[in-house]
Amino acid sequence: MKAKAVLEKLNVKDVNVGACAGPDDWYKDPEAEESVSYNPATGESIARVLQATEKTYEQVLEAAEKAFKSWQMMPAPKRGLVIRDLREALQEKKEPLGDLVSLEMGKIRAEGHGEVQEMIDICDFALGLSRQLYGLTMHSERPAHRMYEQWHPLGAVGVVTSFNFPVAVWSWNAAIAAACGDTTVWKPSSDAPLTAVAVQHIANQVMSSHGLKGIFNLLIGRGSVIGERMINDSRLPLISFTGSTKMGQHVSEAVARRFGRTILELGGNNAIIVAEDADLEMAVRTILFGAVGTAGQRCTSTRRIIMHKSIASELTEKINNAYKQVKIGNPIEEGILMGPLVTKAAVEDMMAALEKAQEQGGEIILGGKRLPGLGEQFVEPAVVKMPKQTEIVYIETFAPILYLMEYEDLEEAIHLHNEVPQGLSSSIFTTNLLKAEKFLSHEGSDCGIANVNIGTSGAEIGGAFGGEKETGGGRESGSDAWKAYMRRQTNTINWSKDLPLAQGIKFGD
Amino acid sequence: MQPLVTLDTQIEDLVLKYPKSVHFLTKNGIRCIRCGEPLWCSLGELLEDEKVKNPQELVDGLNQFLKEQDDL
Repeated sequence: MKAKAVLEKLNVKDVNVGACAGPDDWYKDPEAEESVSYNPATGESIARVLQATEKTYEQVLEAAEKAFKSWQMMPAPKRGLVIRDLREALQEKKEPLGDLVSLEMGKIRAEGHGEVQEMIDICDFALGLSRQLYGLTMHSERPAHRMYEQWHPLGAVGVVTSFNFPVAVWSWNAAIAAACGDTTVWKPSSDAPLTAVAVQHIANQVMSSHGLKGIFNLLIGRGSVIGERMINDSRLPLISFTGSTKMGQHVSEAVARRFGRTILELGGNNAIIVAEDADLEMAVRTILFGAVGTAGQRCTSTRRIIMHKSIASELTEKINNAYKQVKIGNPIEEGILMGPLVTKAAVEDMMAALEKAQEQGGEIILGGKRLPGLGEQFVEPAVVKMPKQTEIVYIETFAPILYLMEYEDLEEAIHLHNEVPQGLSSSIFTTNLLKAEKFLSHEGSDCGIANVNIGTSGAEIGGAFGGEKETGGGRESGSDAWKAYMRRQTNTINWSKDLPLAQGIKFGD
Repeated sequence: MQPLVTLDTQIEDLVLKYPKSVHFLTKNGIRCIRCGEPLWCSLGELLEDEKVKNPQELVDGLNQFLKEQDDL
């Protein structure tokens, strides 16, 4: 696969403009700073982007606001047809777009293509949703009155995404928001701007074929400049932010100060409990995918294994054997299971975390070394046996580090599981129905996602995605997550000739 | 000689120009990249937020650490 050919298929140039509101609305500013996107596997420059400026930010926001006025009035099923065409356009570009995801952020091709499939899937969902934005009807306590609720579009929605799912998370938001009658303004990660440029070209093509602009908008720039501007901008009534807990706190405070809304998808510290009766072969395959996939850089990556004492040795050996089979290398090559980390800084973060784990009594039983022969950003995935859940285990290190801990009874396992501040995804491997149900019960997992005999990562778009505690409480994607993108209005209509008051109050009769 | 890093250095610049600083800071209990992404603030703001008693001392230590690296 040649990078140049991939870029050409996606219309990505050597130098790209980072502010856009439609096919003829790429906003250039001579003052714009240039940023470079590097291939994390080779360290080579892929292409450059002229970042959004104060001036181009305003142009994009004005376009998004203006487009919202007419978009909200288009019947939702008609909006669905635009999303249907977006789905078709994504399907057509699935291969090059998936390849660009791999090139730019380092996940393997199968995962890159899977990510674009997720975009296609959410468009399918949003198309159906466009005919199902249901509101409830209530029986009024007053005679000859009708009471119901309806859902109205919100406005322009700010979407801030992370490098690890550089295109799928945009689509979770943009497709649902579009079905709901909202426009979106997207600030992608500074580590994955080219995939965003490519997606904008695809969205432009779709908008153009419907005579639209300003529905899907792009602003590439630094978090401290463009991100800050967005979270403080009251023209964006909703900010959907994917990132860390620390940043989520900041975003939440800023948006709440102006009474805006947030959807927060923040850190995870996901664990699998492996019970004594678990199918260990199945558990090991799942653990490998969860901990090593995307080089441990998913929000839902498996970071902790809480295993029953009686099977700890056997499971540890099986995990070690599985890890030894992992082929590490350039993610675009066939047969590779793990690519590089996204930046050099991420490698340093991983190494420092491993040193800390050792200082806290952890034993690195496998991996954890740099692989300079492959490139500066390649590492071995690490398996670390911890004597207990120490401070470093409470922290989400965005790297392939798997902590192993033992338990004696299920209560202890659930306690360990829930003890961390994050609450995104969780899993138990067991063949015992009682244990599975306990894990899913009120006193079980405290996460937004809780699975039995499947891992912590690899969610489908049909369910609501998100977590509790420091994960932020937001929900995106399927189920009724769409409600966050709309405003609820309760309506009461009096079709009688009297004026009865609620609660039977008499006033001036 | 001008220090490489100051309290005003933006974290986004710090992790890009001097990725090894992440190692130094993490070892000192300061996490400037989270979920693989840099925080949107200056180093000084982060250290204040983390209630570091003597931020300048930590920055001096970081500059010394960076000087000692031969492959910045």
